[in-house]
Amino acid sequence: MEDRTDTEPVLLSKHAKNLLRFLNLLPARMASHDNTRSTIVFFAVCGLDVLNSLHLVPPQLRQDIIDWIYGGLVVPRDNEKNCGGFMGCRAMVPKTEDAEILECMRNYQWGHLAMTYTSLAVLVTLGDDLSRLDRKSIVDGVAAVQKPEGSFSACIDGSEDDMRFVYCAATICYMLDYWGDVNKETMFQFITRSLRYDYGFSQELEGEAHGGTTFCALAALHLSGQLHRLDATTVERMKRWLIFRQMDGFQGRPNKPVDTCYSFWIGASLCILNGFELTDYARNREFILSTQDKLIGGFAKWPQATPDPFHTYLGLCGLAFTGEPGLSPVNPSLNMSMAAYAHLQHLHEQWRSADGRGDEDISVSSAFKQQLHLSKGVEATSTTTTSNSPLISAQ
Amino acid sequence: MGDSSDEEYLGTDWLAYSERSDWEDVQPLAQDDGPNPVVSIAYSQKFREVFDYMRAIIARGEKSQRALDLTTDALRLNPANYTVWQYRRDVLRELKADLYAELDYLTEVIGQNSKNYQVWHHRRVIVEMLNDPSNELELTENALVNDGDAKNYHAWQHRQWAIRSFNLYDDELSFVDRLISEDQRNNSAWNQRFFVIKHFGFTPELIQRELSYTMNRIRIIKNNESAWNYLVGVMRQGDSGNALLSSYPDVVDFVEELYQAGNRSPYLLAFLIDLYQEQALQLKASDSDQLARKVYGLCEDMATKHDVIRRKYWQYVANHLKNQLSTVEQK
Repeated sequence: MEDRTDTEPVLLSKHAKNLLRFLNLLPARMASHDNTRSTIVFFAVCGLDVLNSLHLVPPQLRQDIIDWIYGGLVVPRDNEKNCGGFMGCRAMVPKTEDAEILECMRNYQWGHLAMTYTSLAVLVTLGDDLSRLDRKSIVDGVAAVQKPEGSFSACIDGSEDDMRFVYCAATICYMLDYWGDVNKETMFQFITRSLRYDYGFSQELEGEAHGGTTFCALAALHLSGQLHRLDATTVERMKRWLIFRQMDGFQGRPNKPVDTCYSFWIGASLCILNGFELTDYARNREFILSTQDKLIGGFAKWPQATPDPFHTYLGLCGLAFTGEPGLSPVNPSLNMSMAAYAHLQHLHEQWRSADGRGDEDISVSSAFKQQLHLSKGVEATSTTTTSNSPLISAQ
Repeated sequence: MGDSSDEEYLGTDWLAYSERSDWEDVQPLAQDDGPNPVVSIAYSQKFREVFDYMRAIIARGEKSQRALDLTTDALRLNPANYTVWQYRRDVLRELKADLYAELDYLTEVIGQNSKNYQVWHHRRVIVEMLNDPSNELELTENALVNDGDAKNYHAWQHRQWAIRSFNLYDDELSFVDRLISEDQRNNSAWNQRFFVIKHFGFTPELIQRELSYTMNRIRIIKNNESAWNYLVGVMRQGDSGNALLSSYPDVVDFVEELYQAGNRSPYLLAFLIDLYQEQALQLKASDSDQLARKVYGLCEDMATKHDVIRRKYWQYVANHLKNQLSTVEQK
């Protein structure tokens, strides 16, 4: 950590209050985010976690969040296509008792990889034990949207496929500790085919190298246990491309302006390649703080811009990588706190012993054990709930 | 995160669906957000009503002209609703609708939402259904040039898809050259250049031509990462992708001359560091000392003067070479 005397403080409690507000009622002008409501829950909940402020979420709201997330679970029946996973909203869920209508609407209810990833991350962060979902059904849904060339679509119908969903697929399988029919080899091929001449990764194939997609590519390789397949020269060239993104904060592409969110995308990519300590922490921090809203809390894309949950969460994570006091450490590949990650490892251990897969080394450091203990308290309350999702088929 | 405003899109002479005689037979269907919803959006009256009717139509499986018009309203209110876009495609297929009219509609929608994934995906599917890419270069040119964002990722992605899928490479290099001339720091345009040249094949002649082109660009703006990345990227294409930087003496001369003339752009220095490092590792230990010392000196200059923000990185590069050379020596 570098000298921080006389530097601007991170307004921890204002950020926490800012994120809490988003969990309740959002203004009408945010209606274009209707389909990605679970990502807003993700930014708010995981942001509060990184702020060590999950205790500010009252027990009832915590339960409501868990129940609302489970309400988006789609469980296909045997005769239906593999569209298992979570929806990010309820636009295709009608309020009716009419069985025929409910049946009809099922044709347009699909899990979406980004919503499944963020939903699972929220559940894990809140200490849920994931016992209300069928891991196989979800991973079947992931495998069903994989393309022959290795990429993934977001959902069974009507979606583009690219590196974002490769990342989501890898995260989902990693979190559920199950890869089922997902083809890691073609996934690897797609990722490496998208490596560009400047050693950043493109969204797909020969597009321009980009900070966000480079994170998606590297984290997917890491989570699928394939990072070691990159040779040493390639890794050094990737580090170069990433390190060159720092101006004060980070930019996403050469000759583009810096933006708070790239302190996460580039920072996390460098963490994955063990190169983050080569960056200038103080200049990075200075830029992120220039986008901090001192009045209402939150971080924005640029100085003087309006803060939003996306930039607030990623700004906090970017600061966490530099060891900012008051923030919880963040797992770069999973994009969640190390405390949440420790809880996830605990779940994996349980599943593996139940599956008779023996005791894997889960090596939870003592620093996180205390936080793990805290999250276990939450887990105890979550198991008392029962599913009331209209989407989980009764039979 | 962008915001949406109903009034802006749907005008003031709006007639509620509940007051339209041709919609009398439809019973709107409210959304079920569960007993205790979180992140609830305070939908406007208009948003709520349009989506209530949308759900009703989808529940009936009705694929009609009025269903198509309803999706138009719903997508104006929320162009990110991928399910409504999918339903719209299902309706278009069922009606055997005029897909050229759909392209016109999309040109307008993309004009307003040029950074929305769903609209570009819909465009791609419609072009595939028509098997006619004749409007795509113009569409993306408008998004890149006339609308003022020459780095719009979606537009470039769509353009590459159209070029790759329908073999439209022929005039692309002149388009790319135009964009690079307008802004030599447009990294997207340099990337597109690589995409086109790669399609034609990195023959020794083409490599040489591209290196000359890029050196000429660097002569005009020296501190331009995009051009330097392209230069190195093209150099590495030679020798089946294994070419060393020293395989191109004219480029090495060009860079060393710039250095002698006093230029200290970090990209130029980084090039020299890579060049000397590669050479040091190729040579026998006894001959590599001088080159290694050049690398250490350049790294030191970077760390203390020309690229201070990356000082830890340049120290790392110097140490990395030291380690590599000592490993070589031990062997």
